[in-house]
Amino acid sequence: MRMLTLKSIVALALLGLLPCERVMAADPRLVLPDLRSLEAKASEVVSINLDSALLGLAAGFLDERKPEDAAAKELVSGLKGVFVRSFTFDTDFAYPRADIDAVRRQLTAPGWQRLVEVRSLKAHSECEVYISMDGNRANGLVIIASEPRELTLVNIVGSIDLQKLHRLEGRFGIPDLRLEDGPRAGK
Amino acid sequence: MSNDLDDPLRKALRPVDPSEGFAERVMARIEATPPAQSRRWLPLRSRGLPLALAASAVLVAILIHLWQVDRERRGLEARRQLIEALHVTGEKLDLVYQSVRRESSPASSDDAGA
Repeated sequence: MRMLTLKSIVALALLGLLPCERVMAADPRLVLPDLRSLEAKASEVVSINLDSALLGLAAGFLDERKPEDAAAKELVSGLKGVFVRSFTFDTDFAYPRADIDAVRRQLTAPGWQRLVEVRSLKAHSECEVYISMDGNRANGLVIIASEPRELTLVNIVGSIDLQKLHRLEGRFGIPDLRLEDGPRAGK
Repeated sequence: MSNDLDDPLRKALRPVDPSEGFAERVMARIEATPPAQSRRWLPLRSRGLPLALAASAVLVAILIHLWQVDRERRGLEARRQLIEALHVTGEKLDLVYQSVRRESSPASSDDAGA
């Protein structure tokens, strides 16, 4: 009876810890602000929403005989979503900074860490790369890139194998980021 | 022997006029016969089922074909979007990489900060 009670207490304590773990883990999917108002101002719009179902469908149409497609298929296998918003404008700073700040605020949640921030005062450009970690595994990636005439938000959700991303180097213009050792830069 | 056989045959096969009212009786029998259409009703019914099945099979085949065409269209569009998303991601990561590399090189004179 005493043993059973002890077991129950341990089980309850573990159950109580589970929600804490969930709270601590960041949601790798961001709530992208409603940027439809920008579409009218932009000269070029890229809006991509690929959930897990569509990613699975897309993977089925990748030709594994082509190296680019084979690499993409391998990367996509662990992903749950790819969301991209990219706007190109004919005038400088046609987009409100509040939209970028709304995305940045979500990245202050525990679990997210800034991998790189590049800021050019001369070119008025800024690019930040954030990564969400679940244990030792990256489960979310966010890129916020802003230039006077361009705004790009990228949110990749799912198990991002940095080695696979590394293997995509040279394809799709992805450079060698020396990711073998995992993320080194933090906030 | 031959004449013995011929005579009864000739007698039996001689032309005979129909009896009184023969034509009327034939016409009455024809009118009394039920219309042929009602007899054809059953075969028509039995032919309808295979026709319906064949039409259903054709319809199902058309629907499957349309579904496959739609799936292929959506799949190719999703593939195009995936490749485009990877291009955009790669382009921005390249931008970061170039800036970091410029900054880390000793002869760097840009004002970029990472």
